[in-house]
Amino acid sequence: MKQNKLETVGLRKVYPGTVALDNFSVTYEGGKVHAIIGKNGSGKSTLIKIISGAIQPTSGILRVNDTDMKMETPLDAFQQGIATVYQELSLIPDLTVAENILLGRLSYKKNSIIPQIDWKASYLRAQQVLDGMKVNIPIDSPVKYLSVGQQQVIEIAKAMSFNPSVLMLDEPTSALAQHEVKSLFNVIRTLKQKGVGILYISHRLQELNEIADTVTVIRDGLFVGKKEMGHVTPEGIVHMMFGKVEQKTRPSDLKIQDETILEVKGLTRGQHFKDINFKVMKGEILGIAGMLGSGRSELLRSVFGADSFDSGNIIFNGQLVQAPTPSLMKSLGMGLTPENRKEEGLVQVLSTNENLCLASLYKMGGRAGYINKKMEEPYIHYPIEKLQAKVPRRDLPVSSLSGGNQQKIVVGNWLNTNPCLMVYDEPSRGIDVQAKQQIFQIMWDLSREGISSLVVSSELEELLEICHRILIMRQGRIVDEVFPEDLTIEKIYTMCMEV
Amino acid sequence: MMNWIRENNPLKKQMLLSILILLCVLLSMTARGFFSVDNFLNILRNSSMKGIIAFGMTMVMIAGEIDLTVGSAVAFSGCISAWVVKTMVAMGVSPIAAVICGIILALVAGFALGSFSAVIRNKYEVPTFIITLALMTSLFGLANLITRGFPITSYPPWFNFLGGGYVLGIPFPAIIFLVVFFVVNFIMSSTTFGRSVYAIGGNMEAARLSGIKVARIKVIIMGLTSMLMALSGIMVASQIMSGTATTAKGWEMDVISAVVIGGTSMSGGTGSIKGTFIGMIFLGVLVNGMTLLNINEYWQYVVRGGLILGAVLLNVVHEKKQMGSIALV
Repeated sequence: MKQNKLETVGLRKVYPGTVALDNFSVTYEGGKVHAIIGKNGSGKSTLIKIISGAIQPTSGILRVNDTDMKMETPLDAFQQGIATVYQELSLIPDLTVAENILLGRLSYKKNSIIPQIDWKASYLRAQQVLDGMKVNIPIDSPVKYLSVGQQQVIEIAKAMSFNPSVLMLDEPTSALAQHEVKSLFNVIRTLKQKGVGILYISHRLQELNEIADTVTVIRDGLFVGKKEMGHVTPEGIVHMMFGKVEQKTRPSDLKIQDETILEVKGLTRGQHFKDINFKVMKGEILGIAGMLGSGRSELLRSVFGADSFDSGNIIFNGQLVQAPTPSLMKSLGMGLTPENRKEEGLVQVLSTNENLCLASLYKMGGRAGYINKKMEEPYIHYPIEKLQAKVPRRDLPVSSLSGGNQQKIVVGNWLNTNPCLMVYDEPSRGIDVQAKQQIFQIMWDLSREGISSLVVSSELEELLEICHRILIMRQGRIVDEVFPEDLTIEKIYTMCMEV
Repeated sequence: MMNWIRENNPLKKQMLLSILILLCVLLSMTARGFFSVDNFLNILRNSSMKGIIAFGMTMVMIAGEIDLTVGSAVAFSGCISAWVVKTMVAMGVSPIAAVICGIILALVAGFALGSFSAVIRNKYEVPTFIITLALMTSLFGLANLITRGFPITSYPPWFNFLGGGYVLGIPFPAIIFLVVFFVVNFIMSSTTFGRSVYAIGGNMEAARLSGIKVARIKVIIMGLTSMLMALSGIMVASQIMSGTATTAKGWEMDVISAVVIGGTSMSGGTGSIKGTFIGMIFLGVLVNGMTLLNINEYWQYVVRGGLILGAVLLNVVHEKKQMGSIALV
């Protein structure tokens, strides 16, 4: 019988300028669930990509059942016994369950001159895969009629149809509801009993207790340790993830004024968030901490009017806003730097100049709506100088700028509207350390001018550095309110990770 | 301050213009009767009817949409105004009042049709390609129903001025063409409205999150463009002195060709009214020249098709080159 063992020996991956993964050696036995955990930028994704065959290591060996692997493409990995199920579903919605499971590998009729699909044999094969997983899903249903949880199971079935030794699941529960997670775990346990080695990537610590047998922590591209789940506490795991970190704090002169800018009461939106209540005071920097999928971005978008909500009240600047839209919230003094700069923040084909004037167009043009170069100048000079953006040529498309400078243009676009509350969704995503500090500096400067900020970030140590106050969000609810002074990084991560 | 790719790129602007000039020089030497004031005015007049629609279409395409109703809408508005004139005159209304009513009704119906497409687009997120394809088909049918298959010749003689008259020796449609050019060019380059259109086409979500009223602006530009089609339809009806359901067939292709030749991107966000102006004249000169050279009509189609593909390829290659140079900055 196969042992279904995966071994990595001295894996190393070098990118220009950085070593993403170094000397990573570990052995994963079959018939167990091995969790792999690490914060953003720890080298976790690099490891996943190497194991799935998406990238090749600079040096080092992957071994399955004592055989060295030769992997140049993800297909090689599948054929040599490592199947990966990615976070994003890759099913074809209009095809049936069976067709998706056997995509590109349907059975053909044997005695036919022209190639002809043997539907009976194909469906039988697919049904066998599902039976092996003890799953009951109609095999002839188009995938689009299944729930997300069922679709996730079909993804796993597709991987299992290759009969792999090792199955890697990348954040399989991130899009699932609570009861769906339970049935997914049942599937995973069934596979475990069959002796498959399962690598389980997740940032939900609570799940690990329930499903994992061992946990491997990776930090700064290095193997920190592999522990039996029974021998380690959640705090211990978080400590392994972060090591010793110096905790930075905001400047001491930032004052909160006794005036409510924004009040949110009982805001609810379907699956995304429920009964959200909070206040933002004048000059305050309020953080919302939560992991991906906790509903934090959706909450910000609803407050700004980018998405609708089901019930609840938003009171902004003393005015009850019934149906917020971006243009209404803008006129009342709110600005949003969205999570996704490229798709939502900037018009890439337009110049830096034009992007800086985007939100303040109507203000600039006044009633007549006439604009010319001269009128634009103050809207361009001021933010570029204030934000220290490096813009070699302002008349070139904004896509020519680096990520950090693009982010400054997004912020500058909104500062031009004279907001009293800036909403930042993942403000430091994809920008360098220096630009990150400059963005923080801007938030602090604005706070001194009495402009409040509402910040969402999955880099929780950043929230500890910039905020006056932090709300903890978990599964669509605000579960706690904390102050950076009373917290350590381990503690805030543990709070957000549902332990 | 205009966008670099869009406006301040001397190479691209001059490229089209210099090819146009080269073409004119070549035709002047080879085609008898090309180089004359009369012929140039003729080209201008022939370009006018499609040209005023092309300016609207440029706005629509910069916003990332399209409108295929052109030919049908032109025929429809000519027919409906002719029908109104016929009916009202029969009821004893004076011809001048009837003509004014007919024109107003056609323009209003035009705006309503275009904004209807945009409202459907906004509400159900159906591509305007499909909506206007459907509308194009229905309008063709309606135009024929109104005329019962025969031209309606109800216009009073002086009505011919709109499509066939002259002011100081310049064809009246050409004057309208130039007026529409200046107005739309001003809107697109010097107003908040125009800037919003570019932003919407470049990135609709970013525009929306910047507080730009995306839905409203789309309704206005699609409505205006459709209204320009109605204006064009009235001038065509005036030129041929009848409401004819079969007129202007296939115009949408000529209009879209001119816009694309003028450098507007099919994916939205870039383009200019000046470019469309040159593109329209380019097409007009080419057709006129080929006709004067007695080139077979069907060869003319082959050449025009090649021209459209060539112009688009030129734009794409050029844009890629620029992207390369930008990355180096």
